[in-house]
Amino acid sequence: MSDLHWLSVAKIADSIAAKELSPVELMQALLARVDKLDPRLNAFIKVDGDQALAAAQAAETEIMAGRSRGPLHGVPVGIKDIIDVAGLPTTCHSKVLETNMATDTAVCVSKLRGAGAIVMGKLSTHEFAIGGPSFDLPWPPARNPWNPDHHPGGSSSGSGSGVAAGLFPMALGTDTGGSVRNPASCCGIVGLKPTYGLVSRRGVFPLSFTLDHVGPMTRTVTDNALMLETIAGHDPLDPGSAPSAAGHYASALERGVKGLRIGFVRHFHEIDTPATPEVTAALQHVARTLQMAGADVRDVVLPTLGEFGAVNRVILQSEAWSIHSKWLRERPGDYGRYGRLRLMAGAFMSSGDYVLAQRRRREMIAAVEEAFRDVDILLCASSMDPACRIDDTPEVERTYPRQARTPFNTTGHPALAMMSGLSSGGLPLSVQFVGRYFDEATIFQVARAWELASGSDRKHPPIG
Amino acid sequence: MNKETIEMLARRAGLQKALAEFPDDVAAAARQADDVASKIKPVDPRAEPWPPMQAGKGQ
Repeated sequence: MSDLHWLSVAKIADSIAAKELSPVELMQALLARVDKLDPRLNAFIKVDGDQALAAAQAAETEIMAGRSRGPLHGVPVGIKDIIDVAGLPTTCHSKVLETNMATDTAVCVSKLRGAGAIVMGKLSTHEFAIGGPSFDLPWPPARNPWNPDHHPGGSSSGSGSGVAAGLFPMALGTDTGGSVRNPASCCGIVGLKPTYGLVSRRGVFPLSFTLDHVGPMTRTVTDNALMLETIAGHDPLDPGSAPSAAGHYASALERGVKGLRIGFVRHFHEIDTPATPEVTAALQHVARTLQMAGADVRDVVLPTLGEFGAVNRVILQSEAWSIHSKWLRERPGDYGRYGRLRLMAGAFMSSGDYVLAQRRRREMIAAVEEAFRDVDILLCASSMDPACRIDDTPEVERTYPRQARTPFNTTGHPALAMMSGLSSGGLPLSVQFVGRYFDEATIFQVARAWELASGSDRKHPPIG
Repeated sequence: MNKETIEMLARRAGLQKALAEFPDDVAAAARQADDVASKIKPVDPRAEPWPPMQAGKGQ
């Protein structure tokens, strides 16, 4: 089997189960690729190579003996470094937690391991999942494999970069204001923010309690569905966990879009935050393609991006301040500039600001729910621009808020970002699909239809 | 938000050290907070915040 690094999760799992692929050979190939490429990409904070190889050897022994741990037996996974894995560091990419070692394992990681997945290591993030691509932290920022001079998006930067570069076939990210979907958009992979409460957050360092989500990041839609099936489900010890069981997300993947009603939220990218022409053209192409495939595509109007963003920011920064205030008072110099600036903003929010934002949030939820009375899925922009150069600070600060992801952290609806095409500069462009609460299956169904039509799962960055 | 207000609020939040070492970051954070909070529209006076208090469902 050649090009092991581009194999999908589904293909790896099937091939290992059929004894056609050795988990040890796969892990050796991926670790060699990490050795070769990660000095340019900085996707990892900590590669756990020895443990990963030992786990691959154990998986091989079990499989050869006819014992299967589950549907991901032998499949490597990378973990964003705000998610605990016992025995490994959880640094949150910050000097503040530079020597912190996890003593427990997050529920989402335990579920992946329970299904047989093998942790390869901990991945770069923006500091505490909020900073930015910073050069004043103990580890360098991750870079975009489509062009390492460019930003890979964040805050799940290493997850996006590593999946896109073929360092591992799947990764865990977290998403509070778009941090799974931003790197998915910048790096041309598939990133899902599930319904709020569908995936346990226990063992994940919090950024904002009422906005935090854990989500799967993969190169294909099928793989994303498989990963979600593994990590979803009720956790009685996570206060935000929804009382729902995991669904069978991969079952409806190939049903197509005929008869589905798709609401196109044009004003996000045409009026609220005008996108670059290439992004607009690609979104139009997605809508037209789905329409040609039998979907009923109609316009939908929601509250403006500006107001969604403000509500998200007030809630996020107020809640984050309650987590970081002690450290920011005592050791502000241990944060990078981006993290310090964004986390300190919460100190200047009033209690009235926070409650007003939470009240407006309820109205926004009602507006999105109202839209779902007439449509089955929403289609909208994710990023309004392709990724900018990582060292162009003014451009990073200009483009970072030009996105349509925060609305669905605010409302808790599931949302998936994936590639809509490539820019003239060879960088990924993106589209976002949003579903009803707990209806990730329909999102996957539409995303798979677009993937089949566009061949996005066969487009890889020209690296290595 | 003027400089005096920012410094007063920063001290009230216990950010004396940050104010001494990173005054520009403190000022930028305060202006960012002020700017973003002002963009939220007034809500229906009867609108309750999310999430609702639900007796018996917490731990």
